[in-house]
Amino acid sequence: MDTKVIFTKKFYFITYGLMGLGVIGLVYGFLTDTHRTWANLLLNNYYFLSLALGAAFFFSLQYITQSGWSAMFRRIPEALMAYIPYAAIIMLVMFFGLHDIYHWSHEDAVAHDELLLHKSPYLNIPFFMIRMVIFFAAWILLTRYLRKLSLQEDNLGGQVMFEKMEFWSKIFIFVLALTFSMASFDWIMSIDAHWYSTIFAFKNFAAAFYHGTSLVALIAIILHKKGYFKDMNEYHLLDFSRYMFGLSIIWGYLYFSQFALIWFGNIPEETIYYAKRWDNGWMVFFYANFIINWFIPFIGLLPQKLDKSINFVYFICILLLVGLYTDIFEQIMPDVATRPQFGLIEIGVFAGLAGLFLFAFSKALVKAPLIAKNHPYLEESIHHHIH
Amino acid sequence: MNTTHIIGVFDSKSDLLAGIEGARSKNFIIDEIYTPYPVMEAIDALKRKSRFTIAAFVIGFLAVVGVLSFLYWTSVIDWPINYGGKPTNAFPSFIIITLVLTILSVTLGSLFIFSLRARIYPGKKYFLPDERSTDDKFIMLFDKNTSGAGFEAISSVLKASGASEVYEKEF
Repeated sequence: MDTKVIFTKKFYFITYGLMGLGVIGLVYGFLTDTHRTWANLLLNNYYFLSLALGAAFFFSLQYITQSGWSAMFRRIPEALMAYIPYAAIIMLVMFFGLHDIYHWSHEDAVAHDELLLHKSPYLNIPFFMIRMVIFFAAWILLTRYLRKLSLQEDNLGGQVMFEKMEFWSKIFIFVLALTFSMASFDWIMSIDAHWYSTIFAFKNFAAAFYHGTSLVALIAIILHKKGYFKDMNEYHLLDFSRYMFGLSIIWGYLYFSQFALIWFGNIPEETIYYAKRWDNGWMVFFYANFIINWFIPFIGLLPQKLDKSINFVYFICILLLVGLYTDIFEQIMPDVATRPQFGLIEIGVFAGLAGLFLFAFSKALVKAPLIAKNHPYLEESIHHHIH
Repeated sequence: MNTTHIIGVFDSKSDLLAGIEGARSKNFIIDEIYTPYPVMEAIDALKRKSRFTIAAFVIGFLAVVGVLSFLYWTSVIDWPINYGGKPTNAFPSFIIITLVLTILSVTLGSLFIFSLRARIYPGKKYFLPDERSTDDKFIMLFDKNTSGAGFEAISSVLKASGASEVYEKEF
């Protein structure tokens, strides 16, 4: 029961190597194309932050619904939460790159723009930074507190901690719903400050939850293949794939709702968003996004036989991690660059932040036993069996 | 027309499952099982497979193709109308109608297919070999001609696995 995951030296060398690659990418980027580098930093940081927050949401949802099956996997989302403070630092560093990404941050541009002038009481640099600090403070405090309670449960046992965590999970998802919505408005939607979509926050929140869950499943599968989680059986896989299947429908529904309303309304202020995403070679991402994030998981996870096949779920999880990148790439890049570019900067920044993410995750995972002791539902999770 | 049936009565779900195990290990052919509430383990233990999901998928697929081609026929071929300068084949707006009609078709289609397969229709007389299965007993039914063993053999196996009573009945 007390097994802790052992990360080899090789694993840490790889994370350091990835971070080194990231530094090279950033230096190269700032020397050649600052514009694109800041955009990439935002893209990748938001990508990993989405995964961390999505996993945190998955974690708190297990408490609110009092789910038994997932009790033994809860250390994974707990460890994934450890990236949030790093994301906060990188996001605060973005302060120096605001002018490169956000049109509304240029005072002279706002002065001649009726619409941006109207939005300026909300969308200005000091308030933007204050909001960012508030969001991260709320996330870090709440996720740290949940983690602390979870570690205390290992020593104490009983139901006290479970009930406490259920209560704080409710507070966390309420806070997360508000702050993540505003954060995605602030960081992603305001890149094109003239355009707005009210479903945008919900869509991005669903994406974070969807892909965060698939990352938790992916890590559980990898650890199972390495010999941890000996009690993991096909029913756990079935539950994971049901999560992903259901969320693929929700994601597809929201993605399509935003598109269909704008397409049908046909108002130039709104259609410009998709017009940009259909020209200059961006269209590939528009369709790839839909195929990777909705079509393949939806069709693939329909038969229960594939839901229970470890290799197929493994494949879908990896595909979905590519899918989230495509999704955010399609949201950020067309407003920053004229045509799709993929080069050393993209690879470097992604590798760097991936290294940091893996580093934060592994450091947090080894701190506590992999399977939480004394969880009231642990036995149910170990003997999980459904139809 | 009447045939003799062997009826095993069990007091609990675990006894019933043990009974199914016992009957299957002796290669007795179970005709049917009646339970007070759905027991998924019994379906698993009987190794009966349902093709219901395949039927539902086929209906859904046919519905998607059918609705889309119907919409294409009405709005492009038969009566094209220019709505706000949109192409007559306004595919994204067809999706919503397709989604809703597919859900309706699958719901109704699976209802009818299930009724056909289970031979249920409005006004059909219900059939219960032992009325206690609507209360708290689990009933296992054998057809004496096809069960593959006599009353004594079946009775001893069921009793061994926890049946509270085993009796013969003709209907």
